[in-house]
Amino acid sequence: MERILTRNVDNAEALTLHGYEASGGYRALRKAVSSMTPDAVTDEVKKSGLRGRGGAGFPCGLKWSFMPKEVDSRRPHYFLINADESEPGTFKDRLLMEKDPHLVLEGSLLGAYAIRAKAVYIYIRGEFVYATQVLMRAVAEAYARNYAGANILGSGWSCELIVHRGAGAYICGEETALMSSLEGNRGYPRLKPPFPAASGVWGCPTTINNVETVANVPFIIERGADWYLTVGKPPKNTGPKLYCLSGHVKRPGVYEAPLGLPMKELIYELGGGMLDDDRPLKAVIPGGSSVPVLRAEDCDVDLDFDSLAAKGTMLGSAGIMVMDQSTCMVAAMARIAHFYHHESCGQCTPCREGCGWLERVLNRIEAGNGMSQDLDLLLSVSNNIIGNTICALGDAAAMPMISFVTAFRDEFQHHIDHRSCLTGTRALQGVR
Amino acid sequence: MPKVVIDGEVLEVAAGTTILQAALTVGREIPHYCYHPGLSIAGNCRMCLVEVEKAPKLVIGCYSPVADGMVVHTDSAKVKEARSAMMEFFLINHPLDCPICDQAGECRLQEYSVEHGGGASRYTEPKRALAKAVDIGRHVMLDQERCIQCSRCIRFCDEVTQTSELDFFQRGERSQIGIFPGKRLDNAYSGNVVDLCPVGALTLKEFRFKTRVWYLKNTPSICGGCARGCNVVVSVGQQQTMMTTRGQLDDRVKRIVPRVNEEVNAHWICDEGRMSYVNEQEAVRLPASRIGGADAPYDAAIAAAAAKLRDAARNGKLGLIASPRTLSEDLFAWGEVVASLGGATRGVRQIVRGENDALLIRADKGANARGAAWIFGAAADETAVMDAVSRGSATTLLVLGDTLDPKDTPTLPPAAQGRVEVIFAGPFVSGAAERAAVAIPSASWSEADGTYVNFEGRAQRVRRCHLPLGEARPGWRIALDVAAAAGAPVPAWGNADDVLRALAASVKEFEGVTVEAMGLLGVPMPVSSGV
Amino acid sequence: MLGAEFENAVDAIVANYPQPKAALLPVLWEVQKAKGVIDLEAEEWVAARLGVAASHVHGCVTFYTMYKQKPSGRHHIQLCTTLSCMLRGSDELMRHLEGKLGIKAGETTPDGKFSLVRVECLGSCGTAPMFQLNDDYHENLTNESVDRLLASLE
Repeated sequence: MERILTRNVDNAEALTLHGYEASGGYRALRKAVSSMTPDAVTDEVKKSGLRGRGGAGFPCGLKWSFMPKEVDSRRPHYFLINADESEPGTFKDRLLMEKDPHLVLEGSLLGAYAIRAKAVYIYIRGEFVYATQVLMRAVAEAYARNYAGANILGSGWSCELIVHRGAGAYICGEETALMSSLEGNRGYPRLKPPFPAASGVWGCPTTINNVETVANVPFIIERGADWYLTVGKPPKNTGPKLYCLSGHVKRPGVYEAPLGLPMKELIYELGGGMLDDDRPLKAVIPGGSSVPVLRAEDCDVDLDFDSLAAKGTMLGSAGIMVMDQSTCMVAAMARIAHFYHHESCGQCTPCREGCGWLERVLNRIEAGNGMSQDLDLLLSVSNNIIGNTICALGDAAAMPMISFVTAFRDEFQHHIDHRSCLTGTRALQGVR
Repeated sequence: MPKVVIDGEVLEVAAGTTILQAALTVGREIPHYCYHPGLSIAGNCRMCLVEVEKAPKLVIGCYSPVADGMVVHTDSAKVKEARSAMMEFFLINHPLDCPICDQAGECRLQEYSVEHGGGASRYTEPKRALAKAVDIGRHVMLDQERCIQCSRCIRFCDEVTQTSELDFFQRGERSQIGIFPGKRLDNAYSGNVVDLCPVGALTLKEFRFKTRVWYLKNTPSICGGCARGCNVVVSVGQQQTMMTTRGQLDDRVKRIVPRVNEEVNAHWICDEGRMSYVNEQEAVRLPASRIGGADAPYDAAIAAAAAKLRDAARNGKLGLIASPRTLSEDLFAWGEVVASLGGATRGVRQIVRGENDALLIRADKGANARGAAWIFGAAADETAVMDAVSRGSATTLLVLGDTLDPKDTPTLPPAAQGRVEVIFAGPFVSGAAERAAVAIPSASWSEADGTYVNFEGRAQRVRRCHLPLGEARPGWRIALDVAAAAGAPVPAWGNADDVLRALAASVKEFEGVTVEAMGLLGVPMPVSSGV
Repeated sequence: MLGAEFENAVDAIVANYPQPKAALLPVLWEVQKAKGVIDLEAEEWVAARLGVAASHVHGCVTFYTMYKQKPSGRHHIQLCTTLSCMLRGSDELMRHLEGKLGIKAGETTPDGKFSLVRVECLGSCGTAPMFQLNDDYHENLTNESVDRLLASLE
């Protein structure tokens, strides 16, 4: 398999602009800016079938086509790169930024060109200090080479490239919360409509894309959409994909494969199999903690958007979290519930109140103090959150909860009825 | 104009109208907390979720504009379930403070719980604890635990006063309303956040623990604090005070809150106006009529006043100075009576403090300064009268005392004291009342019906909120009694409405001003009057 | 407030945005870099500099978890405990650290050398368990590697 997105990951030379160019970098940007119109770039990306790699899988070219085709000077266009990677189980954007920063920059600049942006802001989570430093060095190099700044490569198009650090808030990975935060506010998601392309940051037309998504664009432009359509599972699940494997496997890490890699192949071949050969697979969360969990027997599935959707879950951020038989599913879900409770912005009622409620009930069950009505209560509260919130964080807290309680009801019930754990690996605290 | 169906009823509304606003036009109020017509839309409480056919999920009515052909259900089973779920979420961390919370009886959490809630609570976990009884401003107390994070108070301070004292601190379940450590919520309109708060998180210090709202008798009236004439509701306590020997009703003003009038004050009132009842209730009242400083029966005081006024008027030595908060009816009545006695140099005191601000506050504190100008003539300010007094051409001065604040009552310049005798009619003890030859108590601002005209010429109805204290009577009635005692013609006026009819027939700017026409929102100045 | 160099840095940041308010998060980072914490005096300075209300600044400082209102230890250990790290032993590592340092998560050692907090997913799930020590990630941790690291710190 040809390494596309990760071709430079083991090539320290590529960290410098010179080395990146030597490996073929910035050819796409040069081509676009000198011989393609912005709309032609958008069309190519549209044709490629590239879908967003941040979690929602929205067709990238289609998103770009929502932007106005002409720029009103009072309302410049902005391109925002979502480098807030905070979805549990996900660490692929970090890899790209730390190991191939110019790929990220080139993709960002190509997107900026396509949507006629005046500036690119890369919103990077505050914890990624090293990646920020790497990116900023690369940005300085890009400016020096006139890939960014005024009159890029003599094209007449000017675009600034700014790295903007977050400060610790998962919610800022939600695109409207990212915009709120970039504007200098608390990271509160916004009501939609208006959608970003109509009115985004500072009331201007805006597009937001994930790091990995834009990293695909140089390849699409250089080699063409037709080539891209041969990778993965066309027509709707095309291109190379970075899979983040973590949990109970021998070789956790980021693996590149064409979209549609079978899950079992990722776990058992690329990932080296279960961490402990005596502890077989029990469950997998395939797309970061916001998606429903799969029981081991449901893990014969290709890791692409549509195959996982057909199984009632999602590819999401492609954070594949593997759990073996030693895992207490109650404890695992309690840990996930704690995450959403901690990260809820607090703006709207069901999520603000509901996430805390879910965690408290689960903690009780986990500690051995569950009550008989608790499971139905968890399902009811979760259903009361879903669809009623301003943003998807509420759904992200509730849908995994429903999937865990449904898929592993016997374990939850055992905690309640017997105040002990079916895995036998944990002594319950029995705290009340 | 888009046509939308709401619960089976077809409505045609202007483009851009939200579902919630459209429903309001047919008298249907979708339950809500964070929405307020005077503020931007927040859409965070999620209480106004409604069902729109063909939409994948419920939508919030406060934010979603109607579309042509849209079919909305505000009371379907799905909507009822969602509302009940939202109510449950609101209550899980909410402290059970009702027994000690001022909001009880006018609390949306209570009302919606009864209407839309699920009844029994399923929450058995600890509630999150936050600070209670936090003093954040001159007039406002904050209870962070009761807060439902609707953000109305924040939006008010950001958008209306533009002072931005309040914001959310912390995150998630621990989000709390707060003020920057060391700063105060001290803008001139701070009390409005208490009205806005749907629950008891923000309470007014002056009203805290004073009484229960179901003991209040509420009367719509007009603030007397300045020439804006903000529309208010005056709440008078009706709780039986068991400790008094007579067990009588309290009957004192307990609070003033604004009433909506888009043409005058929108939804707001300034703190000074909100607190104006404090002066009015606490100032020392003239308990009975007085002659020469000694208590006297009303009839005797009337006779004495009538004699002095008639003599002075016949000799051309009478002056009349009125507070600009005097009701139009009282001004007209006294004007007529004084004229029938022989005439007087008339004037209205000017009370000007500070400057007009960008919102409601007027520097002119005369709530009826415009009405007085219409009745006495625009030239009749205080200078003419005070000149007459200083020069000695007026030796008797009829003073109509301020009905809101004794400190604003017109008073004799020091040089004239001793040379000029004062006939005083007003509610409060004040300098002028104390030195008066005859003093007769009249009704205060909250004790009589009448008409104020604001600075824009809008005639608005002031209403009697409770019985006058002691022997106080409406000013126009005192004027009639003086006319009778002086042998002058007595107009056949039985009540304030009669006086207004006579006033409207006599003063051209008041043409068309009737009690019915004023209603609750007043009568704007007629375009043709050209005043 | 903190000298010309700091103010020049702030000016440069503000120039990156069409509205000064957008510089808030980066400027708060500059303050924290210079002062170690963001205190109320700094919040008021930032508010005035960017033309926003002090309450707004305070609202942001208290929303984002990485801004410190109180000083942490010289070596601030932020241990990830979210699911993937939990599956690879973060809870046991936390107990080990608490025992080793003599403090509980959320506390600072009396000599001010170490502080220990529990944080959410740091985007390093492939090298779990791990923590962030001040700015740096330390990955694939074991009790032994942690002990060696702690011993090497002054």
